[in-house]
Amino acid sequence: MNDEPLPWRAGLTVADVLREREFVFPLLVVSIDGVHVPRDAFAATAVPDGAVVVVMHLMSGG
Amino acid sequence: MGSATTTELAPSGVEGTIPVTVDGQALEVKPGTTVLEAARMLKISIPTLCHHPAVEAYGACRMCMTEIEVRGKKRMVTACNFPIREPTAIFTESEATKKQRRGVLSMMLARWPKVPVIQSLAGRYGVQNPGYQHPLRNEAPDACILCGLCVKACSEMVWEDVIAFAGRGAKRHVTMPFGKQSERCTGCGTCAYICPTGAIKVTDEKNNPVDPARIRKYGFRLTKEMATLDDSQCKMRRVGTAHLVEIMDAYDLLPTHNYKFGKHARIAEIASPVWTSLVRQNVPDGCWVGCQMSCAKAVDDFVPRTGPYQGKKVLVDGPEYETVASCGSNIGVFDPHDIIELNFYCDTYGIDTISFGTACAFAMECYEAGVLDKRKTGGLDLKFGNGPAALELLHHMSRGEGFGVIVGQGIRQMKRIFAERFGGDPRFLQDIGMEAKGLEYSEYVTKESLAQQAGYAMAQKGPQHDEAWLIFMDMVNKQLPTFEKKAEALYYFPMWRTWFGLMGLCKLPWNDVEPEDNATRPEPNKVPGHVEGYENFVSGMMGGEYTIQDILKMSERVYNFQRVFSIRMGHGRREDDRGPYRAMGPVTAEEYESRAERYDGQLKELLKVDPAGRSTAEKMALLRRYREEQYEGVLDAVYKRRGWTRNGTPTPETLKGLGIDYPWVVEVVKARMAEEGSA
Ligand code: SF4
Ligand code: SF4
Ligand code: FES
Repeated sequence: MNDEPLPWRAGLTVADVLREREFVFPLLVVSIDGVHVPRDAFAATAVPDGAVVVVMHLMSGG
Repeated sequence: MGSATTTELAPSGVEGTIPVTVDGQALEVKPGTTVLEAARMLKISIPTLCHHPAVEAYGACRMCMTEIEVRGKKRMVTACNFPIREPTAIFTESEATKKQRRGVLSMMLARWPKVPVIQSLAGRYGVQNPGYQHPLRNEAPDACILCGLCVKACSEMVWEDVIAFAGRGAKRHVTMPFGKQSERCTGCGTCAYICPTGAIKVTDEKNNPVDPARIRKYGFRLTKEMATLDDSQCKMRRVGTAHLVEIMDAYDLLPTHNYKFGKHARIAEIASPVWTSLVRQNVPDGCWVGCQMSCAKAVDDFVPRTGPYQGKKVLVDGPEYETVASCGSNIGVFDPHDIIELNFYCDTYGIDTISFGTACAFAMECYEAGVLDKRKTGGLDLKFGNGPAALELLHHMSRGEGFGVIVGQGIRQMKRIFAERFGGDPRFLQDIGMEAKGLEYSEYVTKESLAQQAGYAMAQKGPQHDEAWLIFMDMVNKQLPTFEKKAEALYYFPMWRTWFGLMGLCKLPWNDVEPEDNATRPEPNKVPGHVEGYENFVSGMMGGEYTIQDILKMSERVYNFQRVFSIRMGHGRREDDRGPYRAMGPVTAEEYESRAERYDGQLKELLKVDPAGRSTAEKMALLRRYREEQYEGVLDAVYKRRGWTRNGTPTPETLKGLGIDYPWVVEVVKARMAEEGSA
């Protein structure tokens, strides 16, 4: 994920990854192997073994 | 007519959802979903006139009447506000449905025969203009059809309640109080955007834009985003920027104890729920007329415990994220009352909360490190976390008394004074004094983001994040792996954000709410949908066609002028673009050891040095050399991208390319280049 190794386990979802990494920022853009994952599908989207996960944080604040 | 009935609907498959059919097509919806929403989920159209997703549905026009069946019983409901609570079959095109809609349309067409939206719906349902003469017939194509959307929008989206219905029956109409132009109307145009007939006209007589309709079109997109998306995004209307407090803590970016660390165990005491409960909400803040973001928040009836307003009720404007961090975590204070009181007195005395907090944090670290003691501070026990002492210091500053006189001069002067008068180690003071160009740092820990270290220290006015905030792009997303990529970001974002200053616009609507489709656009970090909005705004205001390239050029001219101005004042050198080491890495063993795993890992991976068996001091020195070299690499790349010399001087060619190579400007840069030997 984001160019760093991410330990994989069966059933791992996008929501799990975000929770475990403490990615709590609301404006996230996630893709798995280049395919965009909508925000409301994070909990239901499984991360396949060996996938390239990109979690892009946008910016906010003054 | 749809074939399914509720008796055929199977019990809910997904827990907590209700089975529904729309014209025979099945779906599961959450309880409370309206009939209209259920139909739209299946892309089935139900006509509406008084409904808009940005305001609460109130079922006034009856245009959306639809037949449903629940527990075997059929009935007509207004689809826009009828909530689904049990298995339901919806028939959007049944005979009963069509008959109702035809009836409504027939009356409307008789009264408002020329209004396009009514004509078009009448066409869809085959309704002819009835033969009779309606007593209230209005032939205007932009007649008001009394849908009430404008009244709802002014109240719910703009929070102003300027317009309302007046009169009864035939006399019913939309108006402002006493039928006069209200002073409270901000001219935001939200009512005009939402009106389905064009009955409301808003004119901008002050700015005289070339194409007001073009500006409104894009302005309204933003209004709608604020109304419908903010709660699930940045909560700017409810909390404002204070929503960032716990987020920055989670990413190890919230400055605590003079930027030593990026998170704190007591974060919950100053997290956004605390501020939500304390600030007044859902009122326009008056910061910018007509702005629906209204992110500035106020605390009502606050009673200070100290100072000239002790015991009296006051109104406090804030606190925002920067203030919570500067007057809170960065000085180790986690009592919201102390933070609000510091906020209040900074405002009252005309002192910037960031500069005060960062300066106080520096003084506190010096106190804890033994550079200062009670004798030198005039009795103030300036330990981290001592809120009352911080307040006392602030009162001293305002009165020009004692130690307050020294702190009031800012960190750059404090460093000199502490070394000269109190025997402090100048190198240590330089390392921990969080200022550059004489300005105190704003509130982000930048140790792990090289691009942001430069974003701060290279900013023209000093280390303020409003030129570039690149920490996520650089540190978390890893989008800027090379010096060149960092330099490109340190070109684009400072130029883009400088433009808001040029136009007198607030930057928050650019990226504190984002369009629904932002995630699917290329380079979502730039919020391309909003960049288009600004292109249209400036084109509509001034005439002509302006692109993002034109916008960046406008800023680049000013940005280079600013640099030349600094040079003329004897600044604007490479050394002015360097920050203190605390912004770049661990200054103390305590800092290194608190994140030892991270730093040891970097020694191994980046420097190919085995940390085992080395002392902390040794490891810190290795890391420091590496990080300082990296920083110089970024400076070189950014200067190159901006068309400046290695000492940060804009070249005559750069000035020429921007069309600002006036002789008196070129003279300034040539003199500096001669001095640095690059002429
Ligand atoms: S212009 Fe804005 S403030 Fe004025 S009536 Fe319309 S919605 Fe309300
Ligand atoms: S002015 Fe427009 S939005 Fe307001 S009630 Fe009339 S038709 Fe509806
Ligand atoms: S749209 Fe439902 S009653 Fe007007």
